[in-house]
Amino acid sequence: MAHQAHAYHMVDPSPWPLTGAVGALLMTSGLAIWFHFHSMTLMTLGLILLLLTMYQWWRDIIREGTFQGHHTPPVQKGLRYGMILFITSEVFFFLGFFWAFYHSSLAPTPELGGCWPPTGITTLDPFEVPLLNTAVLLASGVTVTWAHHSIMEGERKQTIQSLALTIILGLYFTALQAMEYYEAPFTIADGVYGSTFFVATGFHGLHVIIGSTFLAVCFLRQIQYHFTSEHHFGFEAAAWYWHFVDVVWLFLYVSIYWWGS
Amino acid sequence: MFRAALRASVSGARSLTRARPQYTASVAARSYSHGKQETDEEFDARWVTYFSKPDIDAWELRKGMNTLIGYDLVPEPKILEAALKACRRLDDLASAIRILEAVKDKSGPHKEIYPYVIQELLPTLSELGIPTPEELGIDKA
Repeated sequence: MAHQAHAYHMVDPSPWPLTGAVGALLMTSGLAIWFHFHSMTLMTLGLILLLLTMYQWWRDIIREGTFQGHHTPPVQKGLRYGMILFITSEVFFFLGFFWAFYHSSLAPTPELGGCWPPTGITTLDPFEVPLLNTAVLLASGVTVTWAHHSIMEGERKQTIQSLALTIILGLYFTALQAMEYYEAPFTIADGVYGSTFFVATGFHGLHVIIGSTFLAVCFLRQIQYHFTSEHHFGFEAAAWYWHFVDVVWLFLYVSIYWWGS
Repeated sequence: MFRAALRASVSGARSLTRARPQYTASVAARSYSHGKQETDEEFDARWVTYFSKPDIDAWELRKGMNTLIGYDLVPEPKILEAALKACRRLDDLASAIRILEAVKDKSGPHKEIYPYVIQELLPTLSELGIPTPEELGIDKA
């Protein structure tokens, strides 16, 4: 029929789910190949495929929503549910690492000296760079909220400024954390302390980078007039993700950096 | 129960010929503004019960010890006895000796507490075959 009699979006056939799946397969098997046979080719190929998939899939979604008008209210509602469910799944992901941390730190084994922090570990001072990092992320939560209100109020210049500031703060956090990683007196190989510390904070750092990238995409879209004061779900999704990243950091800070020291 | 009264006591030259050092006072470990206060006896009983669980697992043993050592007190010998027996059930000699080291550490400046506790625990230590850090020569770092 010429016109659809409903408000939903029947997406056109797309190759990106397949290329994404193939990319994921190549990355994971490539990882195994790298471990055993010391060749990074397959994994790199998978990574390139995955990056291309992400770029093109999300570009297509922007085309469908912003330029072709397919993101009607019910469609947007579905996208909201989707983002919320995704973030929920990420919460559970981090929950696992917190479980590991508390299992090891509430009942430290004799090999560690029966104490936490384990014997021989010099922990980072929670009131130095980690506290600064906390302030940076909290501030970025304020600036992203400022950006949201600016969008809703149709303030283009302020939106651009506050969004830029948010991204800068995100990059600042990443730079500080990278320096901390370099300067830390312990490594990931230093027993269960090192494992829990670097895996938990490492995945968090990865999520900061992902979140910063998402915000940067929103920044570019804002420059190109994609968002309206009424309809800017891409930005809202990025802001939700960013707040999630901030909250995870607060838990990390209180549990691992502060209590765990 | 060697509680907060420790800080106020004049313990210097107290001899060990008394039945037990006079450190006890009926002060609760925490001073809440309301609610029922646990007595020393109830505290001790609770911890003896904890470590006496027949199928206590290694994690619970370590968690219990860490929590207990976190308190501002030196545990009563009867609690330590239950903990040492739990170590035996779990084949964990290392933790058993570590418990003795922790007692010495928790005594702080009150150097007569540790020999007293060891004295009280001697029957248990020989029953379970647990050497003291001193016997192993690991008390000097």
